[in-house]
Amino acid sequence: MITATTGTTTQEALVGMGQIVAGKAPQQMRAIVGSCIALGLHHPRLKFGVLAHIVLPDSAGRGGSPGKFADTAVPQMLEIFKQSGVPTENLTAKLAGGANMFGSSGPMQIGDQNVEAVALALRRAGIRIAAQDVGGNHGRRISFSCEDGTMIVESAGQPTRTL
Amino acid sequence: MIEHQSETATSLVGLKELFTSATHDASAAMCRWTNGIITVTLDEVRQVPLETVSEAVGVGDALLTMVVMTLQGELGGALVVMFDEANGRQLAASLLGQEVNAEAEWSELEKSALMETGNILGCAYINALTRLIDRDLYPSAPHFIQDFGASVLQQALMTQAVLSDNVLLCEIAFHRQGGRLDWRVVFVPNPALQTALAMALHALA
Repeated sequence: MITATTGTTTQEALVGMGQIVAGKAPQQMRAIVGSCIALGLHHPRLKFGVLAHIVLPDSAGRGGSPGKFADTAVPQMLEIFKQSGVPTENLTAKLAGGANMFGSSGPMQIGDQNVEAVALALRRAGIRIAAQDVGGNHGRRISFSCEDGTMIVESAGQPTRTL
Repeated sequence: MIEHQSETATSLVGLKELFTSATHDASAAMCRWTNGIITVTLDEVRQVPLETVSEAVGVGDALLTMVVMTLQGELGGALVVMFDEANGRQLAASLLGQEVNAEAEWSELEKSALMETGNILGCAYINALTRLIDRDLYPSAPHFIQDFGASVLQQALMTQAVLSDNVLLCEIAFHRQGGRLDWRVVFVPNPALQTALAMALHALA
């Protein structure tokens, strides 16, 4: 599901697993990620941002929500910029997540692969990663601002980071 | 499409019967472990869209205390027992016969009491599932985690998320002397275990 929220309130939109949400300042978006990746793309001059909650690295041709996979989410995010009349040059990218929540055990320790896949998809799209907070074995609560593209990352028992 | 929905509904009914029976065993085990104070009942077996799963389970963006047990091997899954800080402390205190600990850090004894609770619940469910499918399941040791509930749930859902935008959850409720407690247990079988369960249910029908 893709939700384009371009309202003028400062209400935070929650971005669920596999979702992509777009917004314009003063809109903010938030997401909780573990092994998933919160990827925020931002156009600084037009103060337009898109946040994706990416779950898995590779669609391998499978259908489903484009926001779920790194290889389909990034092109879809760029498409949303184009459809909104926002140029895709000079975008900044920030990402957080990619943890391995159950340590070395547990199903699908996929955090590292998610980070690599998102980095690859951004490289292919010619977008530079401006900042990231990835890896480890803890969850992250993130808040993404369409005003200035900052991503605030909160983790249990750790200081808050601003990317 | 209608036929598929009907098949899914039938499958959910079968799984609900199965997990009701497994929950009966788990409840008896919990009752013994807590000296008759705590019992569990099956709340729901349902399919939930991936994008709204955190809200559907009610974990929001809260920091929770959790015990996680995973099933290793082809027939996999995860059982997540979730408490908020106050409820987790209260359970640990009652199991240990102590006053509720006011220290910020959890003691090793408190962690151990909660992990054993997860172990007892998890093993009761795993034993019931093993009897039904007549195949071995390999549970991990219980793992104590304090983190965002949604982050842990995501990891548990990964194997299902690969194949579908909807995920199957079994939710279990806790009760103390008739009153429902704000604790949660979520069991997430992987697709291979779901198939094994469906085949076993089909054979029983």
